[in-house]
Amino acid sequence: MNARLDSFSYDDAIVRKFLFATIIFGLVGMLVGLIIAVQLAYPAANFGPIFAFGRLRPLHTNAVVFAFAGNAWFCGAYYATQRLLKTRMWSDKLSNFHFWGWQAIIVAAAITLPLGYTQAKEYAELEWPIDVAILIVWVAFAVNYFVTLTKRRERHIYVAIWFFIASIITVAVLHIFNNLAIPVGPLKSYSIYAGVQDAFMQWWYGHNAVAFFLTTPFLGLMYYFLPKAADRPVFSYKLSILHFWSLVFLYIWAGPHHLHYTALPDWASTLGMVFSVMLIAPSWGGMINGLLTLRGAWHKVVEEPVLKFFVLAVTAYGMSTFEGPVLSIKTVNGLAHYTDWIIAHVHTGALGWNGFLTFGMIYWLAPRLFQAPLFSKKLAETHFWVSTFGILLYVASIYSAGITQGLMWRAFDETGRLQFPDFIETTMRLMPMYWVRVAGGTLYLAGTVIFIYNIVMTWKRRPAAYDVPVVTAAPLDLSTPEPHAPAGTGVYARFVGLGWHRRWEGMPLFFSVMVLVAVAVASLFEIIPTFLIKSNVPTIASVKPYTPLELAGRDLYIREGCFNCHSQMIRPFRFETERYGDYSKPGESVYDHPFLWGSRRIGPDLAREGGKYPALWHVRHMENPRSISPKSIMPSYPFLLTNRTDFDGIQKRVDAMAMLGVPYGDAINHANQMARDQAALVAADIEKNGGPAGLADKEITALVAYLERLGTDIRQPAATAAAPAATAAATTPAPLKAGGN
Amino acid sequence: MRSIADVVGASGLSGYAIVALILFFLAFLAVLAAVLSPARSSYYERAGRLPLDDLTPQTPREP
Ligand code: HEC
Repeated sequence: MNARLDSFSYDDAIVRKFLFATIIFGLVGMLVGLIIAVQLAYPAANFGPIFAFGRLRPLHTNAVVFAFAGNAWFCGAYYATQRLLKTRMWSDKLSNFHFWGWQAIIVAAAITLPLGYTQAKEYAELEWPIDVAILIVWVAFAVNYFVTLTKRRERHIYVAIWFFIASIITVAVLHIFNNLAIPVGPLKSYSIYAGVQDAFMQWWYGHNAVAFFLTTPFLGLMYYFLPKAADRPVFSYKLSILHFWSLVFLYIWAGPHHLHYTALPDWASTLGMVFSVMLIAPSWGGMINGLLTLRGAWHKVVEEPVLKFFVLAVTAYGMSTFEGPVLSIKTVNGLAHYTDWIIAHVHTGALGWNGFLTFGMIYWLAPRLFQAPLFSKKLAETHFWVSTFGILLYVASIYSAGITQGLMWRAFDETGRLQFPDFIETTMRLMPMYWVRVAGGTLYLAGTVIFIYNIVMTWKRRPAAYDVPVVTAAPLDLSTPEPHAPAGTGVYARFVGLGWHRRWEGMPLFFSVMVLVAVAVASLFEIIPTFLIKSNVPTIASVKPYTPLELAGRDLYIREGCFNCHSQMIRPFRFETERYGDYSKPGESVYDHPFLWGSRRIGPDLAREGGKYPALWHVRHMENPRSISPKSIMPSYPFLLTNRTDFDGIQKRVDAMAMLGVPYGDAINHANQMARDQAALVAADIEKNGGPAGLADKEITALVAYLERLGTDIRQPAATAAAPAATAAATTPAPLKAGGN
Repeated sequence: MRSIADVVGASGLSGYAIVALILFFLAFLAVLAAVLSPARSSYYERAGRLPLDDLTPQTPREP
């Protein structure tokens, strides 16, 4: 019927580019990870403002998620998509724009994060200009991808591509909605959401970023490269379709499990828990499907390092997708949340699933892309064992660290008092395990170095010019009905005949819209009630906005990344209220743009820090925590005592907050002066108690004013605090006077 | 904004999240039934072999 034949070739140059980006940024991301692991065990390894834990930790997470895993996904997707669709990417220009744009974003992240520019939301730290750039690059990628789909020469769109499509769409939605913020400077913005809403958006995003950046794209890679490497089709294609739809249907709902026992409404976290538990079924279906693909080929696993990496990756996927639902059960979460257990969970996924799948894929791709045999199979084998051992050390030590600390936090002695009232005691107990983690991380990194050496040596053996095979295939005429269309009439026959499903599959755009609808509906049902139902966030009359100086201090807290070690969310457990004070109420964070609840307690919770110590205590502690708490692992911040506060910039920030609906009253007109007045008071108090003089215009004063305010509003009677909050001088001396409570 | 919040707040929307949950579950069951039906086995058999050949399209062209 169609006599014309097209000749074309696949664009492998773009695949090679992404391959190199993957290995380079993998190395960087893991190296930064190792550095921050050392910093937790040995705080002297924090250097200056830039190389301190609070600023490097987001660099590590962003580098491994978006630079290492992201480039790995694109590398595999460009290779697989062209071959599955029997077509070249639609536009080489857009492919290259995607590549260079993405690398530029990574470089921008690597510069801005250590300099302290951050939105303070996990995995969404990058400031607004970079977010805009991400959006532009993503749209270019999506356009190129979707047009390529319409140019395909294969009728059926293989399941791996469904996973890629769903990931592309969902990541775009997540990115746009979580990053809505109003700019207050070239590299500074405030989230349009506050408190509970912001937390909800963030963990809707955070959870689904793990789902649609680290899980579904890698499942797409698994469903392509595992059959390739094993040279046999996936065990059950049906199961892979079920796997796909159940993830799309269920995943989006599970986000609230990150916020159990917080100020989040109860129904929302119960919903999150139910959906999370349901996720076990499809995830394990997928794992079993992957492993059974190798049935009858296990002898190959023994000889072939590629398959070894895949087997461990799929097993790690199964382990972490079993553990995730377990962690989402409220009682388990009560123990695990804020501890290293979560870090261990994440690393089973990241080191095992994402890392090993990437290694396996690249070992398989390298000889094909560089058209030369792999430099050394033996080294690949060594890499496998060294890194596997590294994962075991990492995960085992950090699990025990998490459980140990969780149990110590909640231990009471026989008199009914906290058994370990001093927080640092619970940290010291973890030190040996932190060192074992450093050893584990070093081994994993060593494996990666071996890997890179092997790949580079393979690349060196490449021919002078790559052979580019020409493919000939007939174009696809979608207007003709598909051969072997299902027989049978009647609703049921047509339904189970899956004609409808195949028609969707033939219409990638329609199919994508369906995915978008599923994602959007689930998200809206989750999010809207939290935003609109007033009873979900009862307001508290005595809770007032931060004064201009405190707001400036809060921005320093964000800049230094203190939220990476300190939570501000006391859960309603007796062991928490004994340690930190009254549990946090939703109404207390209504002016928090962004929220700063945190997710990990490397240091104690600070939600009720205000009034706990005199201002001078904080000055000394910030200058050198070990002068007060000899075993502290908190970095020193001596530069805060010399850096000048940017008083002139405060007005703009207050105005931005006012624009977001924070009732700032008087401060709208003279934030600068109010901040100076309050700073003078705080500095005088510090000096009077024997502290250094002349701190009024230094950053430390703003930060201390903020710390002294934290969690104190609720103790003020509504009547006295009813004076406009922003009259700084009137409201702040209360916490300042208090030397304890 | 506040007034919308009041109106919606009074309407007890949070129960609808459960309704959506059930709808999603039903939609999922529908896909489950369809995919597991034996009618399409040979179709899926072919689809599953797609990755194995990089050069020739797998779907037959001539009806
Ligand atoms: C590496 C993790 C880490 C970072 C980053 C960090 N801290 Fe800490 N912080 C700790 C630890 C551990 C303690 C407990 C030991 C101590 O008192 O020093 C602590 C204690 C504190 C305390 C005393 C709490 C109390 O009630 O005893 C305050 C206040 C504090 N940190 C503020 C900050 C601020 C502000 C920042 C950011 C500029 C910051 N921390 C950054 C780990 C960290």
